[in-house]
Amino acid sequence: MDAIAQMMVSTGIDEFVAAKDWVWPVCEILHFFGMALLIGSVGLADLRMLGVAKGVPIKALERLIPLGVIGFVVNLITGFIFVAGNPVGGPQEYLGNLAFQLKMLLVLIAGINLLLFYVTGIARAADAVTPEGNAPTSAKVVAAVSLVAWFGVIFFGRFIMYNDTLLYALGL
Amino acid sequence: MIDLIENSAYAIWVRESPSIWAYTTILSLHAMGLAIVVGINTMVALRLIGYVPEIPIAKLRQLYPWMYLGFTVNAASGLSLLAANLTNDLHNWMFFVKLSMIALAMVNLEMTRMRVFDHPLVVNGTGVPAEAKRFAIASIVFWTIAIIAGRLTEYPSFVRAWFGF
Repeated sequence: MDAIAQMMVSTGIDEFVAAKDWVWPVCEILHFFGMALLIGSVGLADLRMLGVAKGVPIKALERLIPLGVIGFVVNLITGFIFVAGNPVGGPQEYLGNLAFQLKMLLVLIAGINLLLFYVTGIARAADAVTPEGNAPTSAKVVAAVSLVAWFGVIFFGRFIMYNDTLLYALGL
Repeated sequence: MIDLIENSAYAIWVRESPSIWAYTTILSLHAMGLAIVVGINTMVALRLIGYVPEIPIAKLRQLYPWMYLGFTVNAASGLSLLAANLTNDLHNWMFFVKLSMIALAMVNLEMTRMRVFDHPLVVNGTGVPAEAKRFAIASIVFWTIAIIAGRLTEYPSFVRAWFGF
């Protein structure tokens, strides 16, 4: 972990964040835009697979997912700036933060879930569903995991700054 | 009056309770509601502008209850956070920019329902009224400024340094 923190600090992002007072608020704004894009696109496809907005073909909604990928990349970059450029306590403050660790775990789960959706053929089965039809159970499971994981990411994301509250609730 | 709200048992609980369900969960809910209402509204707007034409516009009307779910979560969580932090927020002009933008976005959302989703062209699935694009662009602009102003509400000293007030 120290090595990762060292590597992040060596990028010089911390000096950039410290020198320019607009970097942090602007990155936060972008992080929120990214979140809305991701939830709007991926979340909508998930909702349709769970039976909401029938009449809209699942395949058509999947075409929105590249917007979610853009949102994710924006958040990966801005998130990296938050961790590497953290003015109070440096990257270690994040890397050792339980809320942050749980957030990253959920990002990983959401990512693997999306990968499985495409490589296991579930996406193909979902694409074949008629506009008014029901998604197969496998697709519903993927959609439910996706929604829980991404909303969990938001939940624990907000807890990063309030990690003590989380530790207190868990009796740690 | 401001004192009464800010020192009510509820406001004190939101602000000071060490419980996981107090301030931080309410803050999380506020971010989730934002993602739902802004995320879905943005996708609807992009479709109205012409993105992903395979999506039948008329069917997107079913997303209104979901957008209102996000809005309701945020109205409730937002009022809780406001009660806990009333004096500060009322002295923060950026907060009023945010509220104005949300009001405009919601009026725009209802205008979109009446003038686009209720339009015979959309109902019959034969086309889209020309003004749909204007409503779509307006919703993206209002929500974008609302998010910017919402985030900047947390940085009054930065806002003072950059805007001069």
